[in-house]
Amino acid sequence: MEVSVMASSQANLRDTELCGDRDVLGFCCSNSNLNAQICYGKSKICFSKSIGWPKSSVRLAIKAVSQPEPVVSEKVSGETSTSSRKAKPADGVRLYVGLPLDSVSDCNAINHSRAIMAGLKALKLLGVDGVELPVFWGIAEKEAMGKYEWSGYLALAEMVQKVGLKLHVSLCFHASKEAKIPLPKWVSDVGKSRPSIFFADRSGQQYKECLSLTVDDIPVLDGKTPIQVYKEFCESFKTSFSPFMGSTITGISVGLGPDGELRYPSHHHQAKDNSIQGAEEFQCYDENMLNHLKQHAETLGNPLWGLSGPHDAPRNDQSPLSNFFNENGGSWESPYGDFFLSWYSDLLISHGDRLLSLAASTFSDTSVTLSAKVPLVHSWYRTRSHPSELTAGYYNTVNRDGYEEVAEMFSRNSTKMILPGMDLSDENQPNESLSSPELLLAQITAACRKHNVEVSGQNLMISGASRGFEQIKKNLSGENAVADLFTYQRMGASFFSPDHFPSFTAFVRSLDQPEVHSDDLPTIQEEAAESLPGKNLQMQAA
Amino acid sequence: MATVAVDPLIHHYRRKTPRLSPKLTTAKQSSLNYTRRLLSRGATFCSFKSPLRLAVRAGSTEAALAETSESTDVVFDKTFSLKRTAKVEGKILIRLNSGKDDKKWQLTVGCSLPGKWVLHWGVNYVNDIGSEWDQPPLEMRPPDSITIKDYAIETPLKKSSMALGSDIFYEVKIDFNLNSSITAINFVLKDEDTGAWYQHRGRDFKVPLTDYLQDDGNVVGSKKGFGIWPGALGQLSNMLLNSEGAQYDGEDGTSDLREPTQQKRGLEGFYEEHSIIKESLIDSSVSVSVRRSPETTKNSLHIETDLPGDIVVHWGVCKDEGKRWEIPAEPYPAETIVFKSKAMRTLLQRKDGGPGACGCFTLDDEYVGFLFVLKLDEDTWLNYNGNDFYIPLSNSSGLHTRSRLVESEKNEQQDVLERVESGSLPIPEKTTEANQAGSAYTDEIISEIRNLVSGISSEKSRKTKSKEAQETILQEIEKLAAEAYSIFRTAIPTFSETAISEAEAEVLPVKICSGTGTGFEIVCQGFNWESHRSGKWYLELHKKAAELSSRGFTVVWLPPPTESISPEGYMPKDLYNLNSRYGSIDELKVLVTRFHEVGIKVLGDAVLNHRCAHHKNQNGIWNIFGGRLNWDDRAVVADDPHFQGRGNKSSGDNFHAAPNIDHSQDFVRKDIREWLCWLRNEIGYDGWRLDFVRGFWGGYVKEYIDASEPYFAVGEYWDSLSYTYGEMDHNQDAHRQRIIDWINATNGTAGAFDVTTKGILHSALERCEYWRLSDQKGKPPGVVGWWPSRAVTFIENHDTGSTQGHWRFPGGKEMQGYAYILTHPGTPSVFYDHAFSNYGSEISELISVRNRNKIHCRSTIQITKADRDVYAAMIDEKVAMKIGPGHYEPPSGPQKWSLATEGNDYKVWEAS
Repeated sequence: MEVSVMASSQANLRDTELCGDRDVLGFCCSNSNLNAQICYGKSKICFSKSIGWPKSSVRLAIKAVSQPEPVVSEKVSGETSTSSRKAKPADGVRLYVGLPLDSVSDCNAINHSRAIMAGLKALKLLGVDGVELPVFWGIAEKEAMGKYEWSGYLALAEMVQKVGLKLHVSLCFHASKEAKIPLPKWVSDVGKSRPSIFFADRSGQQYKECLSLTVDDIPVLDGKTPIQVYKEFCESFKTSFSPFMGSTITGISVGLGPDGELRYPSHHHQAKDNSIQGAEEFQCYDENMLNHLKQHAETLGNPLWGLSGPHDAPRNDQSPLSNFFNENGGSWESPYGDFFLSWYSDLLISHGDRLLSLAASTFSDTSVTLSAKVPLVHSWYRTRSHPSELTAGYYNTVNRDGYEEVAEMFSRNSTKMILPGMDLSDENQPNESLSSPELLLAQITAACRKHNVEVSGQNLMISGASRGFEQIKKNLSGENAVADLFTYQRMGASFFSPDHFPSFTAFVRSLDQPEVHSDDLPTIQEEAAESLPGKNLQMQAA
Repeated sequence: MATVAVDPLIHHYRRKTPRLSPKLTTAKQSSLNYTRRLLSRGATFCSFKSPLRLAVRAGSTEAALAETSESTDVVFDKTFSLKRTAKVEGKILIRLNSGKDDKKWQLTVGCSLPGKWVLHWGVNYVNDIGSEWDQPPLEMRPPDSITIKDYAIETPLKKSSMALGSDIFYEVKIDFNLNSSITAINFVLKDEDTGAWYQHRGRDFKVPLTDYLQDDGNVVGSKKGFGIWPGALGQLSNMLLNSEGAQYDGEDGTSDLREPTQQKRGLEGFYEEHSIIKESLIDSSVSVSVRRSPETTKNSLHIETDLPGDIVVHWGVCKDEGKRWEIPAEPYPAETIVFKSKAMRTLLQRKDGGPGACGCFTLDDEYVGFLFVLKLDEDTWLNYNGNDFYIPLSNSSGLHTRSRLVESEKNEQQDVLERVESGSLPIPEKTTEANQAGSAYTDEIISEIRNLVSGISSEKSRKTKSKEAQETILQEIEKLAAEAYSIFRTAIPTFSETAISEAEAEVLPVKICSGTGTGFEIVCQGFNWESHRSGKWYLELHKKAAELSSRGFTVVWLPPPTESISPEGYMPKDLYNLNSRYGSIDELKVLVTRFHEVGIKVLGDAVLNHRCAHHKNQNGIWNIFGGRLNWDDRAVVADDPHFQGRGNKSSGDNFHAAPNIDHSQDFVRKDIREWLCWLRNEIGYDGWRLDFVRGFWGGYVKEYIDASEPYFAVGEYWDSLSYTYGEMDHNQDAHRQRIIDWINATNGTAGAFDVTTKGILHSALERCEYWRLSDQKGKPPGVVGWWPSRAVTFIENHDTGSTQGHWRFPGGKEMQGYAYILTHPGTPSVFYDHAFSNYGSEISELISVRNRNKIHCRSTIQITKADRDVYAAMIDEKVAMKIGPGHYEPPSGPQKWSLATEGNDYKVWEAS
């Protein structure tokens, strides 16, 4: 009887797999009904219960058996191809991820702690080494001078410890517009009566997100100097976090100025979108700066040079390569230019030195690594005068290496240098800005190498495009790896978004496994070709 | 159980298989409620118990009319009309009887409910293979019949002269001659008023006739024989079984079925009645007026309704436009209790003499609005179009709200939805963030990784061990990332439509992942197989855009826009001619703009596999193209002899009705890339639904997607599941693997319709085998179980359902299907016919639960039960659901569950 024949052939099929396949195909051809079924005209029914016809089931069974076993590779179960990271070679790059700027709210609660917890676990599973936590002056010492409130940050450190990640703490003595975190209120209040504690540009516009470096040693804060206040802050931090020091907390960075970077806020009125920039302005017009300049000029016997900043420095809306910065014959190359620029950058470097030695002495009895951040002022780098760097406080021109002294200062304080912008590549910079993040990075890292300063990397574009990952990888891997630690900025909605997170996981994986292991190669391609179902069994119009 | 033996009027006959040796069996009661016996004639006959209760539910959407009147002290006065549905029971009658002589027979189909009934029918001929319909011969068609393409007829039912009691009665009679070679008559019933179709489990009514014709039928005792005519026994037994779809669910399939009404049997033919239930509207209203008393600076709010019974107003007040429920200060009106310190409940006072009730509330001046819903009984709540009723109290906001209301009334279907809930209420919930988070499971994995990393001894063990671990870890990471994402995303306080576009555009040059969109997409298929008929579908859909948006859809899939040989658009000819049977290119642009205005992304249906030619080649074969893309036969694949292509062999399956495009040709791909970009720019399409992607390699799809950068893309990879002896195999891994292989070939740039899930749902629901909904690893058995973010789940589309019905979802169980896909991960796609049917409000309810709980395509799912008659799962630990007739209640653990929505054999709970 036919039915039983079919049943047994199907059973064979199951046992013998592919050989059986051929048998049954032959069988099919000899059966006119089955052919009819296969080729029937309009129907597009693929299968349904009501076709309880044994023959149709045989046909389908053929397909079922002739399929390769399902391959559930990681490509299948998740779109990210990641795995736990292999044990790291000693010289491998450590990877950190920045926590949200507003991780701790101004009332010392952890913002969206569930998300952070989930995020920490995901990072741990991914094989990330640690996280970076920005600790804001305006939150921890918000109420009054000397009144510290660490509870929020302590809770967060505990979470990090629980998950088994390392923690890098950034002590932020600046405000963050982006995260709406101000300076401590009592500091801002001082600023109202004493505007000179803030930087100012030529038009008198103030920058109120951090204190001016000239007040470092002036007792403007209720009889204390900012340096003293910073120092006490660091001491209190050290005491409060002593259980974590050296174990969970492996690194601390000290904020040196705007956005934590060692620089003048020459960029603060710029649009942040990296569009074509105008000139940036010197920030030497607050009362203390001008006094200092005056004294300095008089000491050097050129009192006329100390009356104000460069009168012909281009304003915001002017071409940066005009007047003072003129490529040929601009006064930046004149003796006056040298006088001013040296003074301007020396002030910055000595400010950095003050803070770093403060931090070094404070944390000398712990095993944490100290670091501080230097900006990557890459605009106009391909010019002779480097106007953006000059206004930011780096006397780096075609004639002079401005980063040598900086690296030397870091070296003196045994501090690591954090360099952002490792995700930037030259080809993605607008041509008109003559910028070169890659060359600048190379220059700074060369200076660091020379002075044995270790470098940590960061990205500049927050959770940026996947192009950035390529560049980061380039900077971190191979012979020319410039950094041994990279902090990826920054956890948040866009970081975990479906558009970003998969590429991040791919990046993490590729950092560890530059060559793709054979396990990871999609085995699917050939199989897909094989697994195409027998042709024309059904037609399908739409 | 009584069975009625009759002459073989409807019976099964195996015409094509005479060589099958008959296997005699004795009469046997089967679970399908029919009895098979041998008759002397050697044919099988069966008798039916047919207590059918079809779920016939009329659409019930009407505008809530607001009448506003101004008077000096009346700040607000409005009457909301409340349309509730009530069930009306009726009958479908099917009679087959012989006429004057033995050759003339008559089939009568009637319906006892009022409505604009149309019989949509066709026949099978002797030589037909398969179960497709054909048009009946002309002499068989009753007057007023309209032909529907080449396979069906539509005949309106007329008021019958024969009254059935006092009821109005509609019927249609079809006369036919038994000498014609017709083997069966198939039909479905359609209510033109509502557009609803009445079938059986997604299949047609089928009346087999063959036995009258040829008397040489074999005795078919073998069980195998039953499926040969999908319609014959299977179909009618399905009809019987189907009754569970409507009102009661025979848990064991048979015991509950009602005794059929069988009359006039015997030589006359047969006569069956099937009870049907149609939901009809009951109009009620609630009037709200607010008076302001200047002396006391208090507002006095008066609610009056004509709803019968004890009506409880469940209410709160709010101090700002945020409509956050608060409890007012005392004193409260009489009969008021505070409910869970979240809301107030006031029992309205019954009116004397007649139904209706009213109540008065005195409110302090500080409150800006009064929010309420009406509670009719424990399970029945009335709200305003899915939202709370909101009554503005202060004058200024009153004007504002009024204008808003007026505006919204322009959008049709602003109705008061009946909402069935129990337990918890539509109280706005505060999202609380638990300090402790994450599962212990994750911690385990973390420690496991530590072991893994440290414990690598040999390369081999690493391979095997890590491969297993990797899968778990990957899923865990994806889950955690999705969790973090959803919280971060919503925790941004300034988060708003504009904020996203600005912030994201600045921070990341956003490339939305085309495989998933945002991950929170809900798709509506915006057409069915008949949408081309009016010739102005774009205009018709235009009117529905606002409603689709308000119901929570984020993506709409439009029909193929190009000039096409077939009116439905799937046989494209000139790709750059976008004047189709759905409307003109300009109308299309207007429609797309309209969807964008209401925040809906638009998918174009791109048919890339095949293209109809303009000219013949020298051999008279149609394979030379015209129009802007005037390809020659090099653009046609070589391995389809019908079209004599000179291209390479096809990289996929062939579709035989038109020349298949050879995508391996550079010029073809270039042209297609350009065309897609043109559609993006010119029309404004945001993404693609890619037709018949089985026909070519997924790598080409990746190329097209990379070039056109869609916001969202989904491909149709539709092939067969595996069956053994007509039963679907439990394990459909091979099937989903093929779909996943395709997605992989596209590099994940496109999602794919989860055909596997649909197929498994069919079997599970149809046969009450809910255990099928869990695979061996305890995960969903479809694509959604393996690659949720790329699975576009659906239960029906224009091919499987609509008027084609190639693979229709089990009838009456659609809502179970939606309860599954709208709560589960993956990107759900709702079919137009369902979105705008009487299921519409239930579907909207499920969508709002999904959105409220931020379930997305990567949400986690834990299957909590997969038994014979019930399937239950928990999603993101925020939503619990069950489908199937069996009992299930979510366990009370860390979450407290409250019922969010329920319907026929499904329930959904939310954690509170």
